[in-house]
Amino acid sequence: MSTHLDLLSPLLQLFFSYFKELVGKEVTVELKNDLAIRGTLHSVDQYLNIKLENIRVVDQDKYPHMLSVRNCFIRGSVVRYVQLPPDGVDIDILHDATRREARGG
Amino acid sequence: MSWAGPEDIFLSTSLASYLDKKLLVLLRDGRKLLGVLRSFDQFANVVLEGACERVIVGDLYSDIPLGLYVIRGENVVLIGELDLEREEIPAHMVCVSVAEIRRAQKAERDATDLKGSMRKRMEFLDLD
Repeated sequence: MSTHLDLLSPLLQLFFSYFKELVGKEVTVELKNDLAIRGTLHSVDQYLNIKLENIRVVDQDKYPHMLSVRNCFIRGSVVRYVQLPPDGVDIDILHDATRREARGG
Repeated sequence: MSWAGPEDIFLSTSLASYLDKKLLVLLRDGRKLLGVLRSFDQFANVVLEGACERVIVGDLYSDIPLGLYVIRGENVVLIGELDLEREEIPAHMVCVSVAEIRRAQKAERDATDLKGSMRKRMEFLDLD
């Protein structure tokens, strides 16, 4: 079954590839409802849906219902930020890839 | 969600690994639904069996049974896999009846409304 990657904007493919490189790293995902979750990036897909493992909720006391949640799936559309480890990526490679995309590659 | 081949099952963002598991679904309107995942699709539409809504007000909580639910994916914020070996709810919280939690919800709403109306009346003072 085709994944329809060719139908999505090329820049989205760039971020999809970028996040795939980060699988296994610790990230903090901040959602549009202000919930922030730290965890290991398990997987990402073309919609930038995110699966996190071994999560820890920032400000756990405010979210008692999340106490027993170990792993979660986050819908891409509700993500505000993804905070990355500073050494998580080679900025120059990302820069070059972006310039190539902007040029229409 | 992409459809994964058998070898992709470990790296996939597919909800397939959550099938038949008891999950917590957070909705955009702030509601928390619990239930067993029976079906899903690429839009994150899900079918929850034995669904209930967990309402939390302060240290009180209540589970309101809902039955079989189909949730439209656009309303889904997060789907969490509940670890059965851990406590779902902090020990200091008290389980109450639906009637009582509704009363608590109303009290909280009234308090927020009062705070809001008082703030509006104070706005003309321009204290900030």
